[in-house]
Amino acid sequence: MLAVVENNHDHRRPEPSEAEQPTPRVLTILSFVLERLVARNDRLFVGLRCGSAAGVVGKSLSVFHGVRAPSISIPKYLERIYKYTNCSPSCFVVGFVYIDRLLHRHPDSLVISLNVHRLLVTSVMVASKILDDEHYNNAFYARVGGVTNAELNRLEVELLFLLDFGVMVSSRVFESYCLHLEKEMMWNGAGQKIERAIVSNAVDDVTEISVEDTQISSPRTPQVVD
Amino acid sequence: MAIAAPGQLNLNESPSWGSRSVDCFEKLEQIGEGTYGQVYMAREIKTGEIVALKKIRMDNEREGFPITAIREIKILKKLHHDNVIKLKEIVTSPGPEKDEQGRPDGNKYKGGIYMVFEYMDHDLTGLADRPGMRFSVPQIKCYMRQLLTGLHYCHVNQVLHRDIKGSNLLIDNEGNLKLADFGLARSFSNDHNGNLTNRVITLWYRPPELLLGTTKYGPAVDMWSVGCIFAELLHGKPIFPGKDEPEQLNKIFELCGAPDEVNWPGVSKITWYNTFKPTRPMKRRLREVFRLFDRHALELLERMLTLDPSQRISAKDALDAEYFWTDPLPCDPKSLPKYESSHEFQTKKKRQQQRQHEETAKRQKLQHSQQHTRLPPIQQSGQAHAQMRPGPNQPMHSSQPPVAAGPSHHYGKPRGPAGGPSRYPPSGNPSGGYNHPNRGGQGVGGYGGGPYPPQGRGPPYASSGMPGAGPRGGGSSGYGVGAPNYPQGGPYSGAGAGPGRGSNMMGGNRNQQYGWQQ
Repeated sequence: MLAVVENNHDHRRPEPSEAEQPTPRVLTILSFVLERLVARNDRLFVGLRCGSAAGVVGKSLSVFHGVRAPSISIPKYLERIYKYTNCSPSCFVVGFVYIDRLLHRHPDSLVISLNVHRLLVTSVMVASKILDDEHYNNAFYARVGGVTNAELNRLEVELLFLLDFGVMVSSRVFESYCLHLEKEMMWNGAGQKIERAIVSNAVDDVTEISVEDTQISSPRTPQVVD
Repeated sequence: MAIAAPGQLNLNESPSWGSRSVDCFEKLEQIGEGTYGQVYMAREIKTGEIVALKKIRMDNEREGFPITAIREIKILKKLHHDNVIKLKEIVTSPGPEKDEQGRPDGNKYKGGIYMVFEYMDHDLTGLADRPGMRFSVPQIKCYMRQLLTGLHYCHVNQVLHRDIKGSNLLIDNEGNLKLADFGLARSFSNDHNGNLTNRVITLWYRPPELLLGTTKYGPAVDMWSVGCIFAELLHGKPIFPGKDEPEQLNKIFELCGAPDEVNWPGVSKITWYNTFKPTRPMKRRLREVFRLFDRHALELLERMLTLDPSQRISAKDALDAEYFWTDPLPCDPKSLPKYESSHEFQTKKKRQQQRQHEETAKRQKLQHSQQHTRLPPIQQSGQAHAQMRPGPNQPMHSSQPPVAAGPSHHYGKPRGPAGGPSRYPPSGNPSGGYNHPNRGGQGVGGYGGGPYPPQGRGPPYASSGMPGAGPRGGGSSGYGVGAPNYPQGGPYSGAGAGPGRGSNMMGGNRNQQYGWQQ
């Protein structure tokens, strides 16, 4: 069970340099893409459950499955991770790359509302470990993500093995995912550009790829389309 | 929450890492113990092959999977070369407590995760530190050439090692040398755009540009370390044993001269140049200090220990240096003497203790002279087979390959600097500059594999009392709960290499390519 306590303020954040950091655009786009995917897959999942194929789907991701879907929405969850962990926005793109790789490696898996939160917190955390020189530890991510430390550790190991430790994301791949995410948004009629300053060939170490953006011009709540 | 049983995972893939259990191996004995966990010598049951199993330490729950291990795995996955340690696979263990709660969904990782490496008998430092050990000139050339070949391969594949030092160079009894411990390694791009952390490489082997605070660097950093090792092999002891960064820079300047805009254009723009630039003129004394070295060796060393990284010799050019192509030529690794490889952990520990006693005694005697006891190489052996001189303490038959006492690698070396002058400084920053509460309890210190410090946040060396030291780690100080994570500093070095399949580099042909290149 993901028990996210919204006003979990007993941990201090670093001195905020700018008063209120606006949500980076990448979160909006990612939320949009994921919510659409989850809505589609949920319907499929229910259909499969009724049919004979029940139980076959999503086996490789079963460790990420919760008993029931957490009540916090995907955009709120992503915002929460961003707000408390202070990870660089590029971690969300790289986290998305991991989830996508996972699905390609294990075509039987489905991202559904039962597993999307755990997938997100785990993949963003691993991305932050790889990308950011300064990052919070698993214990902190667990508190932010509403899972236990032990469970998150287990999810982390599971994710690493499911990815076969393919956690390297080149700048070329990074760029292509940014373009993909932007395109998704464009189809929706809301042309949003992820701003990025690609720095190095290999996204690693201290490379900061800023996907920050200050103006949020279009609706924050993504639409779910078919 | 069931985990797919082994074998159910990755059905669509060829055998995947993590799909096998550690039960496929029979642990023979523990050969090492470090901050990163235990290292075992083991035999694969099916094939009989001897391997080194390195357990990934997972007991720090708050940190989760160690970042050093993630980095090492992801980099070693793409490197395949005779002079780079081979990570064969990763195996898991469900652990004995699998069903303790009576739940059928036992965690298959509970018992631990192991990296499976080829088995190696020694590391260069351990070998060199054997009492009475002297390398012959062909032997030094042979090791240097393998080191450069492996490093060239890494650099061509855009990997910086960032922790080249003797204890990370593993040697097997076939004379093969392999780079190990990629826990600090990272990819780089040729456009040098990225900002990289300058808190890498064990202090004694750290190049001046990193000490001066640059965050844009490339393969030249590794070449400086190679130069330090080269000089150490010839000189018989480490050449820059600094105890903190300012002293390290000073030792470098004393030997290599002070950097200025003439010998290193652009140096004055490097972050801490003005803080550290020497107040008095210092001349380059390298040739004078090492005047007894062979001419070609000195020539090559000059080009490795060049202050300006852009003028420093590359691994590729170093391999073409006269040094490797003049008599005495590098010997064939297979022709090197085989040294006793004692894997018995207990024996080793015993010997270690004995050696420590001896060294303590020695140190007391030598307190005012040298603290390092390495001997310079045998200058001319005149034959491919190096005749090793027996050490003073060990009688042996001259007709047999020398067998020196003492552990030859650092699997079992004591943690942290000992009381006396320590042979190796802790990797990373011994000045305490990046001590961090979050690292507490890890027992990191002294054992290679440094932490990953924050980078570019505030001036460095706060704790060494340098002027201009500001609120370092500004980003980290206010973090409160779950402060940013410094991964545990366990090196994944000292793993193993199998019986070497001869090297492809020993041919006499000067125009040969280096094996992996077409």
